Amino acid sequence: MSQTEEHMTSIHVPSPIIQVRNLGKYYGNFDPAMIERTGPEHGTARDHVTASIVAAWGVNFDVAAGEALGIVGESGSGKSTVLRCIAGDVAASTGDVRLAPFEDGNVNILDLDPSARRQLRINTLSVVYQDPAEGLALGVTAGGNIADPLTAAGWRNFGSIRDRARELLARTEVPLDRMDDIVRNFSGGMRQRVQIARALANKPPILLLDEPTTGLDASVASGVLDLIRQLLEELQVAAIVVSHDFGVIEMLTERCLVMQHGRVVEDALTDQLLEDPHHPYSQKLVAAART
Amino acid sequence: MTLDTAPHTSPTTIAQLVGHRTTETFALLDEESKREIRRALLHAVCIPGYQVPFGSREMPVARGWGSGGLQVTLACVGSDDAVKVIDQGDDEGVNAVNLRRLVTMSTGIDETTEVYEATLIQSRHRIPEDDMNENHILILQVPVPEPLRGIERDIRELARMHSEADYSRMWVSLYEDKVRNGVITQSTGYPCLVASRYIVATTPIPRWDIPRLHQSKFLTLFGAGREKRVYAIPPYTDVEPLTFEDVPFEVESADGATCRLCGSSESFLVEMPGKQESWSCSDTAWCRRQRNT
Amino acid sequence: MTMTMNKTLPILDVRNVSKSFTLHNIDGRTVTALEDASFVVHPGEHVSLAGSSGAGKSTLLRLIYRTYSITAGSVSFRLANDEWVDIAQLSDAEVIALRGREIGYVSQFLHAQPRRSVIDLVARAGVSRGMSTADAHEQAGHSLARLGISRTLWDVHTSVLSGGEKQRVNIAAGLISPPRLLLLDEPVSALDPENRERAIEVIADLSDQGVAVLAVFHDLDAISRLASRIILMSRGNVVIDGPVDQVLPQLTPGDVQP
Repeated sequence: MSQTEEHMTSIHVPSPIIQVRNLGKYYGNFDPAMIERTGPEHGTARDHVTASIVAAWGVNFDVAAGEALGIVGESGSGKSTVLRCIAGDVAASTGDVRLAPFEDGNVNILDLDPSARRQLRINTLSVVYQDPAEGLALGVTAGGNIADPLTAAGWRNFGSIRDRARELLARTEVPLDRMDDIVRNFSGGMRQRVQIARALANKPPILLLDEPTTGLDASVASGVLDLIRQLLEELQVAAIVVSHDFGVIEMLTERCLVMQHGRVVEDALTDQLLEDPHHPYSQKLVAAART
Repeated sequence: MTLDTAPHTSPTTIAQLVGHRTTETFALLDEESKREIRRALLHAVCIPGYQVPFGSREMPVARGWGSGGLQVTLACVGSDDAVKVIDQGDDEGVNAVNLRRLVTMSTGIDETTEVYEATLIQSRHRIPEDDMNENHILILQVPVPEPLRGIERDIRELARMHSEADYSRMWVSLYEDKVRNGVITQSTGYPCLVASRYIVATTPIPRWDIPRLHQSKFLTLFGAGREKRVYAIPPYTDVEPLTFEDVPFEVESADGATCRLCGSSESFLVEMPGKQESWSCSDTAWCRRQRNT
Repeated sequence: MTMTMNKTLPILDVRNVSKSFTLHNIDGRTVTALEDASFVVHPGEHVSLAGSSGAGKSTLLRLIYRTYSITAGSVSFRLANDEWVDIAQLSDAEVIALRGREIGYVSQFLHAQPRRSVIDLVARAGVSRGMSTADAHEQAGHSLARLGISRTLWDVHTSVLSGGEKQRVNIAAGLISPPRLLLLDEPVSALDPENRERAIEVIADLSDQGVAVLAVFHDLDAISRLASRIILMSRGNVVIDGPVDQVLPQLTPGDVQP
């Protein structure tokens, strides 16, 4: 896999785990000219001629092991679309996405059929959704939700499954005496912790987080955020964190993309984005976050 | 041009209707129908455990009363076959008697209550106690062929789960069952993995009989008339009841009970109707033979 | 990592660096924070940046660390293998790699910190710069002790510390297994006199270890004790750049006002 930016120095840069090139997703009919008719300069992702929506276009980035890349933007920016295209929840319209742990990065995962994409989600790539109900079966116990990816990966020993579930729930600070309670009876913050535990069940090298703390009460959110930060450091996964909240981005990521109307408008070190944003939209977002 | 104006003798009673048909076709069904069912059965045998859809015909038994098993039997039967029909192990139950009569009357073949004399054995709810071999075809009447029905209703999602062998939700439901109840509680219809590929519903038979399917010498065919599916377990096929490595598969037991009639403790026992704590063999023919020898 | 590079060669060579901000959301105006700054730093040197508020001192530190992007000029850094790289032109991934091991930044604030114990935080910084976990833990203990953080606090979460305690932990984390270039932005401003002393001693040791230090202090006394060279800045420009003995007498209190 190639590097995003050419560098001619001897500084050792870890090779990418996730490589995304030209990722694009549109809804409606395709007309090549609609790309130029949409985007930040036009203030919209919707093409007035075809009524198609260019939800995301021309997205490029790499993520290395142990690195968390942020994607920040307001709703409609395309950030969640990008995440869902990589996750396989949404079929991308175009693009090349390679994952180092899968076939050594030699296969564009966007070309795989849905059943192969589902296989990826068992061992290679996990997703934590904003709404825990999307990543959990609410009528199943906390332990059962963790048993799901384990059995999908071939675990057949009840005792081992229970042990691993306990380990993960302890790590995500879910009280073990609630392991056999159904998730519907958990608070939002607890549900999110169970979702994280479940996402980590098969030790995925890649983790995608979509607004992981949005919707949680502030005090609860900070605990979950802290947990995520610790896990990212411990596990050295390659992570993509999508959020509209700069606090989350600041805490979890070292590099960040800013998206607006489906396009990436800025790609920078996170601290640089927060202190010296270049693009007018980035400046606006950062200024709003600071107040 | 002259018209043939000879009067037709159209049937006007049900008896005439049935009689009308049985004199014209062997085994109730026309050849095209039998051919279609056989094709479906061949598919089923070639893909062990896979539910093959088929055009389930209207039968003289209502849906839910064995019409699927009957169609399978009628498609398989040849003039030198001998048929045994049991319901809950009993050859003399009303339904077993009616089904057997339908088969023999439309084919003229022999009927029997002894396994060793039969070639086709149609059953609801039991596998006969006697050993069967390559000469036997066991045909089971299935109410619900879909083993995942309890966890998913959408037929497209069910089709996907089977085609991708994505059975994790079944495993989760077994996990939940064990957590909630201490054991896996499914009694009839225990899900089994066939040839390490498809999960099947063994809906008609109790857990007791499931080990008989594993690497059996006989062919087992499953017919679901209302749901319009057939599936098969060919001889010498692996059939593994789904359970965790460390949770042994247990069969039904009644502590120390023996058959009141023949004294056996080795056969599948059922409580005698109206009499609590009083057991007898489910397989009546087998029981009778124990008593006579 | 041993300091084997040539001590007479500079480690940092800042040339004609300028920084302007374009404020798109106000009226598109441009604000210049730094104009045409040039200087070098050698290993083992402690260079003090002096100047009143707004002179461009923090801007300079941030440009070197790449928190700010440069408008013009170059920020050349000599790697351990003597290769020179322009920090301003590096890719983000390369900067992250450099920040991990080669260049450190100790700011005034301990912000966005995880719920981690004091000793863990400091040890982790050591591990990220190549120490073994055991060594890092041991060294972390030494550093904390030197900075007056008592053992009883080592296992508490940083969030329960006072401002001064947090700052000393910050210093410990920044200085453990020190990187070859260390940028310090008012590291002792929140410390009481006794702890300020401890911190100054620890920082003074860095020169002996061959670390190049570029520091901002609003404290003539600290500057006089630590600096080997002083760069005085005013309104975004370098005004004076010379040895401490020469420059110090020229400084007025206004030049070090926070």
